[in-house]
Amino acid sequence: MALPNQQTVEYPSFKLVIVGDGGTGKTTFVKRHLTGEFEKKYEPTIGVEVHPLDFFTNCGKIRFYCWDTAGQEKFGGLRDGYYIHGQCAIIMFDVTARLTYKNVPTWHRDLCRVCENIPIVLCGNKVDVKNRQVKAKQVTFHRKKNLQYYEISAKSNYNFEKPFLYLARKLAGDANLHFVESPALAPPEVQIDIAAQQQHEAELLQAASQPLPDDDDDTFE
Amino acid sequence: MASTDPEHNEEETAAVEDEDTGAQVAPIVKLEEVAVTTGEENEDAILDLKAKLYRFDKDGKQWKERGAGSVKLLKHKETGKVRLVMRQSKTLKICANHLVIPTTSVQEHSGNDKSCVWHAADFSDGELKDELFCIRFGSIENCKKFKETVQEVAESQQESKEEDEKEASSTAGLLEKLSVDDKKGEEFVKESSDAPKTEAVATADSEKKEETPVSGS
Repeated sequence: MALPNQQTVEYPSFKLVIVGDGGTGKTTFVKRHLTGEFEKKYEPTIGVEVHPLDFFTNCGKIRFYCWDTAGQEKFGGLRDGYYIHGQCAIIMFDVTARLTYKNVPTWHRDLCRVCENIPIVLCGNKVDVKNRQVKAKQVTFHRKKNLQYYEISAKSNYNFEKPFLYLARKLAGDANLHFVESPALAPPEVQIDIAAQQQHEAELLQAASQPLPDDDDDTFE
Repeated sequence: MASTDPEHNEEETAAVEDEDTGAQVAPIVKLEEVAVTTGEENEDAILDLKAKLYRFDKDGKQWKERGAGSVKLLKHKETGKVRLVMRQSKTLKICANHLVIPTTSVQEHSGNDKSCVWHAADFSDGELKDELFCIRFGSIENCKKFKETVQEVAESQQESKEEDEKEASSTAGLLEKLSVDDKKGEEFVKESSDAPKTEAVATADSEKKEETPVSGS
């Protein structure tokens, strides 16, 4: 499963395939984990985008190569080619759009045709939205097909670590595996000259007048 | 972080989520437990608050979320250096890691008295990157506490830096004096303080010159 642009690492890595209808939040979810940002703008993924995502566990560092695939049929591309050698998967739907849940069996069938017996997590995204179309009780598909189910919100970060934690535990066969603090290396000394400092101050002044994207909620975990 | 979604206050939902309904699959790797190092072992936390961090996207001219979790100011037990370390909650990944230096200056964020902004050379990814950060707290008090503590630290780092410099310059002065006593020449002192490289040459020369009178007498 080596890709031309994919550097190999000396710690365990896994190919994770993420599927589901367009607009359910697959890319937003991956981006949230990569940089912390929450992208509101919808730009459909074309084909597939592969992102390495590292986690630190009590059993060392691990990496998921996240294959973030196009949900929209017209941008789908080589669907089976993306699934091949997948070692784990996430199927995403949007709890505010019933059709995206109705299509879950199709995504599951296509995935299982190529990837047999891999751990799969079903994720109901956007649970922060008040008017849900799919209630928690109505989600039953995972029981029929033996999938793990999580209600998540890429916006509020509700349960956002759970899918990765579950998959890591299954792949390692260790139910006690958990995330640990990654080592915070000592930052090197920096010399800032006056010119650079003045530039930072000017930039900061501009930035300070820009509003935050989400200063409506006041609760932090 | 709105984890208090009405849907999730129902006990039923919580039970559903903790249940493992996944299929039995054979593990594909065997991992051994390893010793965990946080990198913070030689430091004391002088501040530890919950907050949300943003970085400024200079191209898009907008703030973007970086992470939500605990922001700490850590003071090194031996060197006395202080750094800011922030970790994302749940995944415990680092979202900020930089030294608080004399030039570190936390400014107000217009229109929001629970948040403030500053510049840092951030080392989160293991390489130095210039970042403009904005941090938002749950209360005005916490924001004030953060601002004041960083300010105090920056000032104390300035003082310790000045002390170091004073010490260094007094040592240099002592050396110069020694040279003056050796050479008893004004010109040499001027040269040595202007360009250290010349000093080495000059010293070598002065040694030669010193020899001359000896051989001459």
